[in-house]
Amino acid sequence: MSKPEFIYTTYIKTTPAKLWEALTSRDANKLYWFGAYQESDWKPGSAWKITYPDGRIMDSGEILECEKPKRIVIKWRNEWSSELKAEGYSRCTMEIEQTDGAVKLTVMHSIDRPESKFIGAVSGGWPKILSNLKSLLETGTVALESKEMKSA
Amino acid sequence: MSKPEFVYTTYIKTTEDKLWRALTDGEFTHKYWMDCTLTSDWKAGSRMTMERGGEVKNDCKILESDPPRKLSYSWQSVFDPDMKKERPSKVTYLIKQHGEIVKFTVIHEGFAAGSKTLPSVAFGWPMVLASLKSILETGQPLKLDPATIKHMEMAHEQA
Repeated sequence: MSKPEFIYTTYIKTTPAKLWEALTSRDANKLYWFGAYQESDWKPGSAWKITYPDGRIMDSGEILECEKPKRIVIKWRNEWSSELKAEGYSRCTMEIEQTDGAVKLTVMHSIDRPESKFIGAVSGGWPKILSNLKSLLETGTVALESKEMKSA
Repeated sequence: MSKPEFVYTTYIKTTEDKLWRALTDGEFTHKYWMDCTLTSDWKAGSRMTMERGGEVKNDCKILESDPPRKLSYSWQSVFDPDMKKERPSKVTYLIKQHGEIVKFTVIHEGFAAGSKTLPSVAFGWPMVLASLKSILETGQPLKLDPATIKHMEMAHEQA
């Protein structure tokens, strides 16, 4: 079996600069990431983490690559679930490409571990976050609020 | 990927009925489905075609139709001689309202080992579904050119 991975591509009517800002700014994250936000100075080797609105650390890791406004690679481990944390580090790559009519965003998230529950968890989360991100950039408001995120 | 299938979920600010119409109204599909027009009466057992420029590109048959929540159809790509020889694959739509948004999942499965159709649809679906979300939320589809994007991807793989 090949290694568990989640791949999601979407196309957004925006600019690479605006998409980069939405992906890397703490305040922008809060708008579409259900109140959670990433923190990092976005330099290779720097620490990276995602914090819940209530202050708990959701995930943490390190920036492996960062090429503004094109590509980010994060060494990423879950922190809030002991079961997911035990799976160790995953690798998340985000790629931004300008195409003719829209900006293409691809998120690839993989882990070197068979039957990963972590990849199962992010496979449910990314479509919600990225649907919200697309709505926010195209319409100014998100699709899913936090209350709907839990039931959907 | 562990199984030869394509699964994609998107969340759209719309209603189940509006999404169903967007997926089944031929004239409307043409606006966002990469210049394709989907034609069918959408009843189980009926044929459904995806045509571009008067040519059928994908020949389908409705397997199950339960508006506005579920639809499944067989899929045979006929625009490529190798794909035309493959056994038909199967597409399922799952549509569910959650408050003001609709969760829409597309499952495309049943591919033969080494299928050429799978990478082709895995490339096409995100464009179709992103443009569908845009047209339902903003009134405007995305202006995507599959040929240009494919070219970029190939340049990428060779790099």
